[in-house]
Amino acid sequence: MAEALWYNLDYTAVVVLFCIGLYAVIIKNNLIKKLLGLNIMETAVFAFIVTSGMVTGGSPPVVGPGAEAPMASPLPHALVLTGIVVALATTALALALIIRIHRRHGTIEADELRELE
Amino acid sequence: MDGPWTAWPHWLVLLLLLPLGGAVLIPALHSLNRRLVPWWSLVVAAGTTMVSLPLFWRLVREGPFSYFPGGWARPYGIELRFDEFGAALVAAVVLLGPPVLIFSRLYAARAVPAPRLPFYYTLLLLNLGGMIGFAVTADLFNLFIFLEVVSLSAYALVAVGGRSAAEMSALRYLLMGAVSSLLILFAVGLLYTLTGSLNMVDVAGRLGELDSPAALTLAGTALVVGFMLKAALFPLHNWLPEAHASAPGTVSAVLSGLVVKVGIIGLIRTYQVFGQVELFFPGSLATILAWLAVASVVMGSFFAVFQKDLKMMLAYSTITNIGYIVLGWVLASPYAVAGGTVHVFNHALIKATLFLAAGALIYRTGQRTLEGLRGVGRTMPLTCAALAVAALAIIGVPPTAGFVGKWYIALGALQAGRPFFALVVIFGSLLAAIYYVRIINAFYFREPENEAVAGAREAPWSMLAPLAVLAALCLLLGLFVRLPLAFLESAAQSLLNRVGWW
Repeated sequence: MAEALWYNLDYTAVVVLFCIGLYAVIIKNNLIKKLLGLNIMETAVFAFIVTSGMVTGGSPPVVGPGAEAPMASPLPHALVLTGIVVALATTALALALIIRIHRRHGTIEADELRELE
Repeated sequence: MDGPWTAWPHWLVLLLLLPLGGAVLIPALHSLNRRLVPWWSLVVAAGTTMVSLPLFWRLVREGPFSYFPGGWARPYGIELRFDEFGAALVAAVVLLGPPVLIFSRLYAARAVPAPRLPFYYTLLLLNLGGMIGFAVTADLFNLFIFLEVVSLSAYALVAVGGRSAAEMSALRYLLMGAVSSLLILFAVGLLYTLTGSLNMVDVAGRLGELDSPAALTLAGTALVVGFMLKAALFPLHNWLPEAHASAPGTVSAVLSGLVVKVGIIGLIRTYQVFGQVELFFPGSLATILAWLAVASVVMGSFFAVFQKDLKMMLAYSTITNIGYIVLGWVLASPYAVAGGTVHVFNHALIKATLFLAAGALIYRTGQRTLEGLRGVGRTMPLTCAALAVAALAIIGVPPTAGFVGKWYIALGALQAGRPFFALVVIFGSLLAAIYYVRIINAFYFREPENEAVAGAREAPWSMLAPLAVLAALCLLLGLFVRLPLAFLESAAQSLLNRVGWW
């Protein structure tokens, strides 16, 4: 079991990161910390997808003189770049909302906001 | 009508590009002439509706068809696919887009702060375009991208009115929604790792040959849970009522009528991709989902009965109806699946009518609660008539639109040999009758207490006209529903023949 975890270290790290992020989103009281948790989850998923493009002994997938097979798969990189753009938009929107909530109520602690309602 | 123009292959990509392109031009147009923005949005939405017509024509004549934007064939190229189930959502989007935008012109001018108006229209068109993209894409990663286009614009639309409650519920909606999007992205990445492909048809074929049940179960579960949250199926529903109730009325109509259906279509896509795979679940996934659907039906109605706010009632009623649709799908008999798919469209129509009518009432009276709105049927008879017709339709009184979907789901439950679930459908309708009759009673059979209500004028024509058309459709579609049903039944049959998972 421990050996399998060590052998798949990348996947283990991804799962641990994902769970840390999910913990922060659910448990943390501060809205910014919740958002940070979300970003950690995003990183975990992106890391997982990038890893899937790895080819043992592969070279960077750049075509041109000196290009040699085997190459790492470039598709996951493209996917993750797109995913990062989406994550950026999500974070920006969430921060904008948090700023407005803070201006209106003077707090970004979830329990205090619940009492205000 | 069958000319070469219906066979023109590029209609499908135009259907996508028109609303998305029209949306991003709005801020520029706003700086040229701000009064043009509502009209431009309406032209774009109406244009999208026109573009969809040859597609539906072709779907009925030829069955599902594909389009490859880059010219690269499957599995290398990106594929757009117009099939029966996605078409149910597209039909709802193109039908509701123009009325919602006509309604918006006066409504949004009051409900949305003036500097945000161009963004309101941009987000609304992006949202509609994203849903069309979600329904027609046949590529798993594009499914995620369009899901995010829909979700992000939906979060922003909830907050666009600038009410304090709206901002809080938009943030809550965003946090829940983003977690579910990540689950879906994770599952897409896992499926890519397992199969090396992102095309749904290709992935579905390759999954059948795989022998890694644990990874497949993980991917399947992540997809189902993610889309369940987007669809607000019990117990992942608690973000929905506040988000839908605190948004401006037009936005509520789009969110409650259309955006939650994105989760349903996502579940259908999961079903199609995993069709040939044996997953090991504790018990069977279909049984779990069926009971969650039952819980949605009962709890949604149960909470709605105790609401004071009109829009909160309507929002809880959405959870009930999502329960019906999921129930139809997991019963997996041809009648039930066809009924569930028809209800995707019919519920969109009815719920949009209800929310627009509620929006018109709030626009004229400023009252949101049932108590505050007492007697409004005397001062705004036409708006209330539209609301009453839609309320009858959503209870499921024959021959309205709401009746057909529920009737077929109940028949499908009998067909599947599960009479208990047919009873749930009937019981759910009775529960819905309780609170919708309460609404009708308060509007028509009580004296107006509030001065704002007693002195209210009838809603302006640009709100009444879309309401009248939608309410008429709520009534009439129940009569003309044999056509799509027969069509969907054969689609459902062919889908159910291919898959053995459920």
